[in-house]
Amino acid sequence: MRTIAMILAGGEGTRLTVLSEDRAKPAVPFAGKFRIIDFTLSNCVNSGIYTAAVLTQYRPHSLNDHIGIGKPWDLDRSRGGVRLLQPYQARRGQNWYAGTADAIYQNLDFIRQNRADNVVILSGDHIYKMDYRPMIEYHIAKGADLTIGVMPVPLEQTDRFGIMQVDEDSRIVQFFEKPKDRDKGNLASMGIYVFNANVLERRLSEGRPEKPRNDFGKDIIPAMINAADRVYAYRFEGYWVDVGTIDSYWTTSLELLQPNPALDLYTDQWPVHTKSEERPPAKVGPQAKVVSSMVSNGCVIRGVVINSVLSPGVYVSPGAVVENSVVMNDAWIGPGARLDKVVVDKKAVIGAGALVGIGDEKVVNEQMPDRLFMGVTVIGKSAIIPDGARIGRNVLINSRRDEGDFPADKIVGDGKTI
Amino acid sequence: MASVFAMIMAGGSSEQLSVLTEMRAEPAVPFGGKFRLIDFPLSNCVNSGIYNIAVLTQYKPRSLNDHIGIGKPWDLDRATGGVRLLQPYRGGPYGDWQQGTADAVRRNLDFVLQQAEAHVLILAGDHIYLMDYQPMLRQHEQSGADLTVAVRRVNSHETHRYGIVTVGSDDRIIDFREKPRRSQETLASMGIYVFRKEVLAEILEDGDYIDFGKHVLPAILKQQRHVRAYAFPGYWADVGTVQAYWEANMSLLSEEPALNLYDPDWVVHTKSEERAPAKLGVHAQVGGSLLANGCRVEGTAERSVLSPGVFVAEGAIVRDSVILYDAVIEAGAIVDRCIVDKNVVIGAGAHVGEGDDNTPNATLPEVLNTGLTLIGENSVVPEGLVLGRNVVVHPRSEAKAFGKKKKIASGTDVGANLR
Repeated sequence: MRTIAMILAGGEGTRLTVLSEDRAKPAVPFAGKFRIIDFTLSNCVNSGIYTAAVLTQYRPHSLNDHIGIGKPWDLDRSRGGVRLLQPYQARRGQNWYAGTADAIYQNLDFIRQNRADNVVILSGDHIYKMDYRPMIEYHIAKGADLTIGVMPVPLEQTDRFGIMQVDEDSRIVQFFEKPKDRDKGNLASMGIYVFNANVLERRLSEGRPEKPRNDFGKDIIPAMINAADRVYAYRFEGYWVDVGTIDSYWTTSLELLQPNPALDLYTDQWPVHTKSEERPPAKVGPQAKVVSSMVSNGCVIRGVVINSVLSPGVYVSPGAVVENSVVMNDAWIGPGARLDKVVVDKKAVIGAGALVGIGDEKVVNEQMPDRLFMGVTVIGKSAIIPDGARIGRNVLINSRRDEGDFPADKIVGDGKTI
Repeated sequence: MASVFAMIMAGGSSEQLSVLTEMRAEPAVPFGGKFRLIDFPLSNCVNSGIYNIAVLTQYKPRSLNDHIGIGKPWDLDRATGGVRLLQPYRGGPYGDWQQGTADAVRRNLDFVLQQAEAHVLILAGDHIYLMDYQPMLRQHEQSGADLTVAVRRVNSHETHRYGIVTVGSDDRIIDFREKPRRSQETLASMGIYVFRKEVLAEILEDGDYIDFGKHVLPAILKQQRHVRAYAFPGYWADVGTVQAYWEANMSLLSEEPALNLYDPDWVVHTKSEERAPAKLGVHAQVGGSLLANGCRVEGTAERSVLSPGVFVAEGAIVRDSVILYDAVIEAGAIVDRCIVDKNVVIGAGAHVGEGDDNTPNATLPEVLNTGLTLIGENSVVPEGLVLGRNVVVHPRSEAKAFGKKKKIASGTDVGANLR
């Protein structure tokens, strides 16, 4: 049995605001030195799947740089390995990918060429450690056409997921994509699919212009259940999270700092591979204080860091205090600056004495009240916060803003956007 | 640009590094957290645009082979040039093991002559420095010298550790003395040589010289050949003794260290292990230290260098020490002025490096007399045990090796020497 993986990495991830403005969501940095897609790619190779395609569409540059020829995952292979599949033009006038299923449909050639028996379809923007082998064995043992990875979710979140009902054999009898009503049960799709390759090709090809089959959750899965295909649910017990919003990104990051976090990055049983930058060890100065934090190679810390995650190359000046924050690659925190509940993107500069994350957490962001409401302030890539600025909570500073974009008194109130 | 290829001498057994070289060649000794000594000359080469490199091995090369592999980290996995490991071999006119640096090159003369480049850069695998070799090569070519030797000024009371040169007008070397007790001259050879290739071949074919410093340099001067000095002003450390090794590690902890590992224009490449960022616990107290990825610190680390994967449990204290890969310091243990090799376990409540008794080590009194205690790789120090200063615990020593004693006195050797 030949199994290949197709990883969907084209999503825009708008709810991550500036973090996914210049890069696709799977390329967003996570846990210091990783990027979100590392988890899925590492799951593949740790599960013995060495042929993987990554389907890109939105802002793929970071992703292309990161994956390259797949060296960190040992996917630089002569047979199989990793392929980046970009949207393309063809004589039949194909277009941008209209959805998850359409993206796979436009790359059916790749599946055929690899003579796959089973196709594992994955999302590049989830954080979890999973061995796909038991799921594939289950798929084969059930004689399934499609097996969907599922887990129970809290009832109040069911409107964010595909929810299904199963019989006593775990065969799916009904499927609801993001149901508004809360009475459909709480068994949610994780967006992890094992397809029989022939059935996948047949069902994808049945789309008609008036009734397209663009999306797995909306179109393909309901159609397969209607057609009495063998569609099964596979229960996954373990840590799995979709960091869709700034708030969940921030919460998930800080959860890593607990003494025994649900996501253990320190075992050699299931290594998460990434493109490691060549940096010297982190340097903690004699006057520095660092507690309950993760600090990556190349960081230099001369101030105070509490309950925070620091990516490679972050510099914390003497007298600066970084608390409850996520700071990405090569950001510079000036002397005496204070950060509380802030997500700082790459290469941002926080001026001397600037106070970021002060004020009332309850004042939600004016432009994005549904995305920034937990009190987290976000500083975009390469933004420069002027010396002595005072910046409130739920504030969004867009990428590459500098002194000239700030008001003269350098005060940015809660919920504002620059 | 001069056409040059590099040969890095990596075969020495270096007894003076004690347990650090009991199981591995000196150039494979870890340094500065995540590096190994050979990363410095290798990175200097590629950063200087030299992409054809041979590494000559002999003593316990397995760590070195693993580390260098096909040279990926240095972009030396190339179709032309790249890095080659040259092992000792049987057969040919010379046979038998290599006796020293010059002898090692002589046994690989076939290889030297096969290379297209006109000059040979000879480097040591156990020096720590960041150096652009291009200015030295330019001087070598412009002066038309047969040999150019990199030199630096040392303290007059240190001359006994080095080969000391006397320089005449226009940087010509007119005299050389190996490790003189006293010397008016203070220019020391750094063990970095650029030879005109055919001159090197001629000399090595002629005589049975063993060592470049001791034998080749005096001989070439006697032949009245054109030998020049090239002065290098930057940081350079020969970490050939335990004390020098420890000092070089500690010097990285100063606010502005002489060796700048954070310079994006001169990156020191190494085979990075895949590890998560360092994690510091709620009660962690870390000051003046280097922490590599994969470290977890729940206790205290002061003025110390921690390699990837080191674990310092809650209540444990690590002070003025160098702790290598994946060592575990259990709860309540104290580690003071120590070098702890990889995979060592310091049992709960043990105290390693205790007291003021500075009795030199019984087997290596000349080298181990500054109070440093060394724990060899894969050893297990039993819970609650006290170890004095200048103690050497040889690799793979477990509870049995320590006997029933509660305290190991300063200067003692524990376990079997595996050299």
